[in-house]
Amino acid sequence: MNAFQIILIILAVVLVIVIIWFIATMNSLRRLKVKVQEAESGIDVALTKRFDTLSKMVETVKGYTKHEAETFEKVVKWRQNMPDELTVEQKEEFLEKMNSVQSEIDVAVENYPDLKAEKVYTNLQQSIADVEEHLQASRRMYNANVSRLNSRIVSFPTSLVAAKINMERQPFFEAEPSKRADVEMDFS
Amino acid sequence: MASTLQKYQDRKSRAEKFLLAGFILVALAFVALILIIFNVLPEDSMWLFPSLLVIGGIVILIGTVLFNRVQKAFKHGFLRDYLSDKIEDGEFIPKKGFKRKQGLQPDEVYACEFLPKADRFYSFDRLRGTIDGVRFDSSDIKLQHIEYRTVRRGGKTRRKREVITYFYGRMFEFDFNKNFEGSLQVLEPKMPPRTKGAMFGKNFGWGPKAKPQSSRGFDSVELESVEFNETFNTFATKEHTAFYVLTPHFMESLMKLEKQHPGKVYFSFIDNRLHMAIHNGRPTFSLKPFRKLDESYLETFKQDIDIIYDVVDELKLNRNIFKEE
Repeated sequence: MNAFQIILIILAVVLVIVIIWFIATMNSLRRLKVKVQEAESGIDVALTKRFDTLSKMVETVKGYTKHEAETFEKVVKWRQNMPDELTVEQKEEFLEKMNSVQSEIDVAVENYPDLKAEKVYTNLQQSIADVEEHLQASRRMYNANVSRLNSRIVSFPTSLVAAKINMERQPFFEAEPSKRADVEMDFS
Repeated sequence: MASTLQKYQDRKSRAEKFLLAGFILVALAFVALILIIFNVLPEDSMWLFPSLLVIGGIVILIGTVLFNRVQKAFKHGFLRDYLSDKIEDGEFIPKKGFKRKQGLQPDEVYACEFLPKADRFYSFDRLRGTIDGVRFDSSDIKLQHIEYRTVRRGGKTRRKREVITYFYGRMFEFDFNKNFEGSLQVLEPKMPPRTKGAMFGKNFGWGPKAKPQSSRGFDSVELESVEFNETFNTFATKEHTAFYVLTPHFMESLMKLEKQHPGKVYFSFIDNRLHMAIHNGRPTFSLKPFRKLDESYLETFKQDIDIIYDVVDELKLNRNIFKEE
């Protein structure tokens, strides 16, 4: 075996290793992307549940809170005018709108102690708390997976594979502004 | 209470005196042997060695019997009432004799699905009751494997039998306040250090990687907290369940519990039950020889009960807002 053949074999081995690494990295990135998509669909499910529970709550309290029921109607119309598949930003906006309706209802119901004590209402409140827990879990799961995907996409040499297969950084599902405001601290 | 404790302390001291005298006699036997070997004592004094050894052994045996009697009386008399008073509906079932399964039963222990099945299963000193409306059950458990290895000595091959203790500590079960789908396990990266030898074993390194012992299809889950992922390995049958159960506050609480028992805590959330195992390498409610039995001693037992209060409190198991009434 002469020197040329040896170099050829070494080059072939290196090439095979590079191809295997490329395929493995590509697959792992795609798997992560699928996990991000699954987590996003989890958010969709939780948002739908949130919307259904809110609808039931509005239905229950609309005799007492007319203005809030009208606000909710606006949210329903807004959702109807949007495409079926919402972007992450639109989902954040949808959640924010539902939260503001919820806050309005909570404030309005304060004036009706009888309504607050009703079993149907307390059950709905409990359901909302549960849906909210699931929503938070879905949001954290989505963000954890996005964080893993994004950090791999920006790291060399995985970034080369990501660029080759047109994989881009995914947006985070941010906490709603009202929640973020809760943790803002004033050091002045 | 002080006078009752003093009564047990007097009996314990008596047993300890026998133990101490026995150990001194055994030590004297070996001193005599050394003095004979180095010709300090005449050769015809050789009878001293076996005589002192035998007498010392008998005295130690008497001391052990007396100590076990005090231990039994203390657990069945004083400790049972003491622990039952500290916990609502509290029931303490102390170890009795040499039966192997007096605490949690094997199926209850293996329901945690992270402890491998043992060749020798011991459970004792069961304590159950209710804390802040949360039902719990617990007992000491000791799990042992029997391993065989081939040894060559003097040109002959023989099979050597070894007893390996791979878990020795307290196992707890709690009602869990969240309804969730699937199962979740939060485990330290390694199983506890293994001990060779049935009685006076030596540690010989950490156990294998901790992982679910189940065919439910657990997958590894990475949570958003880097510190949590470094402390524990999380496995879940549904990724969403891990994020649903392990809220940021809950993760902090688990890490806090881990800091109290570093490298030795394992959690599993299955069928709306929380199983927790702490490998402390000792019988939790047993008396230690040569330590005065007084109210400060009782503090150590109280600390072991406080763990249960801490779990209920820290993990907010007493809040049922997520469960339908």
